Amino acid sequence: MTYFFDGSKEAFLTAFLLAYCDERAIVTAGSCQLALGQECVFVRADEEKARRCEARLLSFDKGCMRDLGLLLRSGEAGRGQTAYRYLKLIASRKAPVRGDLTEDAVVAANECMRRVSFELHRFKGFVRFMESASGALYAPISPDHDICDLLLPHFRGRIPSIPFVLHDVRRCKAAVWDGAHAFTAPLTKAEVVLSADEEGWQALWRQYYASVNIPSRKRLRQMKGYMPVRYWKFMPEMPAAAVEALRETPASAAAGQDDAPRPRGSS
Amino acid sequence: MIAEEKLKILTESAKYDVSCSSSGSGRTNAGGIGNGLPDGCCHSFTPDGRCVSLLKILMSNDCVFDCKYCMSRRSCDVPRASASPEEICELTVDFYKRNYIEGLFLSSAVHVSPDHTMERLVAAVRLLRTKYAFHGYVHLKGIPKADPALVTEAARYADRMSYNIELPGERSLKLLAPQKSKESLLVPMRQLCREKAAFRAEKRKGFFLPAGQTTQMIVGASPERDGQILRLTQSLYRVNGLKRVYYSSYTPVVQDPLLPAAASPALREHRLYQADWLLRFYGFDVEELVPEGEDLPLELDPKCAWALRHPEFFPVEVNRAPLEALLRVPGIGARSAQKIMSARRFSSLNFEHLKKMRVVLKRARHFITAGGKFCGAENEAAVRGLLTAGERGERARQLSLFDGALPPAAGGALTREAAAAALTGEL
Repeated sequence: MTYFFDGSKEAFLTAFLLAYCDERAIVTAGSCQLALGQECVFVRADEEKARRCEARLLSFDKGCMRDLGLLLRSGEAGRGQTAYRYLKLIASRKAPVRGDLTEDAVVAANECMRRVSFELHRFKGFVRFMESASGALYAPISPDHDICDLLLPHFRGRIPSIPFVLHDVRRCKAAVWDGAHAFTAPLTKAEVVLSADEEGWQALWRQYYASVNIPSRKRLRQMKGYMPVRYWKFMPEMPAAAVEALRETPASAAAGQDDAPRPRGSS
Repeated sequence: MIAEEKLKILTESAKYDVSCSSSGSGRTNAGGIGNGLPDGCCHSFTPDGRCVSLLKILMSNDCVFDCKYCMSRRSCDVPRASASPEEICELTVDFYKRNYIEGLFLSSAVHVSPDHTMERLVAAVRLLRTKYAFHGYVHLKGIPKADPALVTEAARYADRMSYNIELPGERSLKLLAPQKSKESLLVPMRQLCREKAAFRAEKRKGFFLPAGQTTQMIVGASPERDGQILRLTQSLYRVNGLKRVYYSSYTPVVQDPLLPAAASPALREHRLYQADWLLRFYGFDVEELVPEGEDLPLELDPKCAWALRHPEFFPVEVNRAPLEALLRVPGIGARSAQKIMSARRFSSLNFEHLKKMRVVLKRARHFITAGGKFCGAENEAAVRGLLTAGERGERARQLSLFDGALPPAAGGALTREAAAAALTGEL
């Protein structure tokens, strides 16, 4: 049987209860290829069932709801099934299984959680705010996983006095801090009137980014490994343009430029 | 707003500093802007593969010192600029607010005198912390020979301070950086270490260098061997309580009879970093890694080299060995060791399990047993061969079918020698 749920935690837990005794259950939030004659169920969230299920799972493993939160935020198609197999193992052993890396279900869940929390960590650095005329900050982002509400506390701790909006343009939602309250809201399109200085600061940042680079050491593979190209879109320093500029000057010429008053430095 | 041209000059003079980390400070936001992220955070990456974490900038690049290897030295004809503390603070806060940077890395050439320079650096950081209420990360470079009172004050505002040792030996320092001396670098380091300990003991409120001190040295510009460098490193970690030592391999940039003409191989820097990690996180002592007058082997990483010298320690049984023993297995790092420790509480591990857990077995399989089974090569020579065979030679390249060009003379001689050695069985 295939169990479809809408991606929310309540719907997942309801589906989990339904599918628990089904040996060949597939739990999914997205679309999936159905086999011939396959039966499917569209599970609607049932608060009572979800609450019961959550309490039971928490009695086995205190951290499992945090894990489930991360798993359901993943953008991967198989996230429902990964979470289902992981929680089912917890329920059948009635104990935490986090460290048991000999189990495929645990390895898959750990990998999936690691990808989500790694992207969360990356975005603490890769978010770029722009200042609006009112002084509020606005940042468009397009992460692989649904992390914008998890990012909010980080920035709230950092700039508590400035209201800001983290806009996930891919999922059309926004995490908002208005100076006193944090909430998420659907948001398709935002129109931002930039402050007078914004362009100037962006230009300075571009200048800084260009100056701090050492052109004679060209390591694009390394750069793209650390900062994948899909994240470049909303960065005012325009890494793509910097890479392009490097391509125009051949390596030897770039090295020549760097030659002039040569400093100390590594390779 | 600071002028673009000025920013360019001051950044370009600062960019060769290797240190970039923003970790280690848990400073909290106490009204104002910013906080510390103990894990550190990279905000961007430049096409040279390095991260942009801090706003790395000089107050001034107008130097009275004349260090041979430095591009801001007095005798070098480069454009000069200085920024005011206000300009630095404004730039930091506005970049920080937009999440471009994690904090400030402020350094300076020695302008007018060491005291004057240090005063200006402290003024900028004080302004940033008080008037601008900035609680983000600040890394401040110490100026050698500045007044001790200024150093103490700087440490109250900064998260991390660093005095660059530059050259690992006293004689080399005298030769290449005549205005600096070993004492002028080590005395303030010891002072800060002492004061931090006192601050901790008194349990006072506030912060005193929460992220500690670091330093940096150039490798290959002077004749010191790796053994000597690592002994210095270890004493800096253990005696002076440093958090990090950075190495940067020397590249010939200035024509000077005192400086070597050839660049130091990047691989040497890499091996030094590997050894550095072994000292800090893997419980190794420098005496185990390399004798004082020798270099680390280039063809093998230092942990492999140690393991091959100590066959009596291996194989290690992954199901029973303590963490310290697992950490000494080549190819098993801190994360793999942790995975093994947690997984073996559930069931006995075999090689299939290790593979599934993504423990890299390329090197490790020669040094471990899993459930009593051994999967490595039989003797030491075979292991050595397997572990070095994968390394690509510096000069290796794909040959073309129509490649008529002969290899360069020096390379040719080397190849012929190697070929002869291979023929006669000398290796």
